[in-house]
Amino acid sequence: MCKIAALAFSLLFALVQPCFGATPDGTAVETVTLAVPADAAERLYLGIKATAGRFALSDIAGDILIVEIFSMYCPHCQRHAPKANELFAIIEADGKLKGRVKLIGIGVGNSAYEVGFFKKKYKIPFPLFDDTGSVLLGRLEGIRTPTFFAFKKTGGRFKAFFVEQGPHDDPRGFLDRVLMALPK
Amino acid sequence: MKMKRYVFPLSIVCMLMAGAGAPSPLSSAGLSREEIYQVGKLKPIDSVLKVKVGDVAPDFSLRSVDGKTVSLRDYRGKKNVMISFVPAAWTPVCSDQWPGYNLAREEFEAMDAVVIGISVDNVPTLYAWTKSMGGLWFPVLSDFWPHGKTADVYGVLRSDGTAERAIFIVDKTGVIRALDVHDINERPPLEWIMTELERLKD
Repeated sequence: MCKIAALAFSLLFALVQPCFGATPDGTAVETVTLAVPADAAERLYLGIKATAGRFALSDIAGDILIVEIFSMYCPHCQRHAPKANELFAIIEADGKLKGRVKLIGIGVGNSAYEVGFFKKKYKIPFPLFDDTGSVLLGRLEGIRTPTFFAFKKTGGRFKAFFVEQGPHDDPRGFLDRVLMALPK
Repeated sequence: MKMKRYVFPLSIVCMLMAGAGAPSPLSSAGLSREEIYQVGKLKPIDSVLKVKVGDVAPDFSLRSVDGKTVSLRDYRGKKNVMISFVPAAWTPVCSDQWPGYNLAREEFEAMDAVVIGISVDNVPTLYAWTKSMGGLWFPVLSDFWPHGKTADVYGVLRSDGTAERAIFIVDKTGVIRALDVHDINERPPLEWIMTELERLKD
């Protein structure tokens, strides 16, 4: 039985590995610090009390945090922007998810200006953050955009439990995949 | 659906489970990670400028990806021009640069400016590359033959035959008003471009 399981595992590895290479590691995002939003409504959404400086991911309110790693320069991210807005609307319209699930974006390698430009261009209603100095980009070396991570708050800290690379056409389906992957 | 899930610290098992059935990771050029050539860290600048701010920008006539010949002088008296040299097609940073200028079309037009993209790649390569980006609103020109001649005239041809990641902002009189030969490993920030174009209004 063990041999069959080992063979099946090896086959699965052989099939999947050439397509994907290394899967991005969400732990690199867990310890990131972000600039406190200037917008009071965004601070309220995130549950951030500070009005300036930087905050830790763990300071964000809610039990589940979805982070879109994007770039203003990435055409896939540009095309996906309306879908991300749709995802936010689905979460906020669901009484069981609103307040519990939070959504943010981090523009890897993007300046505050570039992130602001992207936000304005696509009327993004959820908080977006810059990565001036490419600090996160350095930690996520080789990452392709967009990549989506989901984190569950455990012991006051967000722990990664989900990653998906590439844009998705169906925000509701994406959200279902996140929630089904949520550790019990 | 459980195939999407991974739980630390069983990272190897989880990588497989996370990968199976998920969309392929994409570069900006629409390729999977494995299909993009990784150039590694390059010497930031590997050429010596032959022009400076205040000089008349050297004219050029190059073939564009849509088969036309485009000259810098075509824009004299009509438009401000941002010339964007990029090192090479199908490379990570370059693939993540022009799509940003594509998104900023309205902003360039508001500054009465056009973008001209130039690469030392040949037309078929540039055609396929820009198509993979979903198309671009500005002309993309091939400086392939004589190889890198225009890049060399500006002093941005590197010793390996690629161009620098360089920007020249040329006003309607044909004078270079700003330039940035950027570290080839990084993108020039959009705010610098917009600030310099804004200054042309003065």
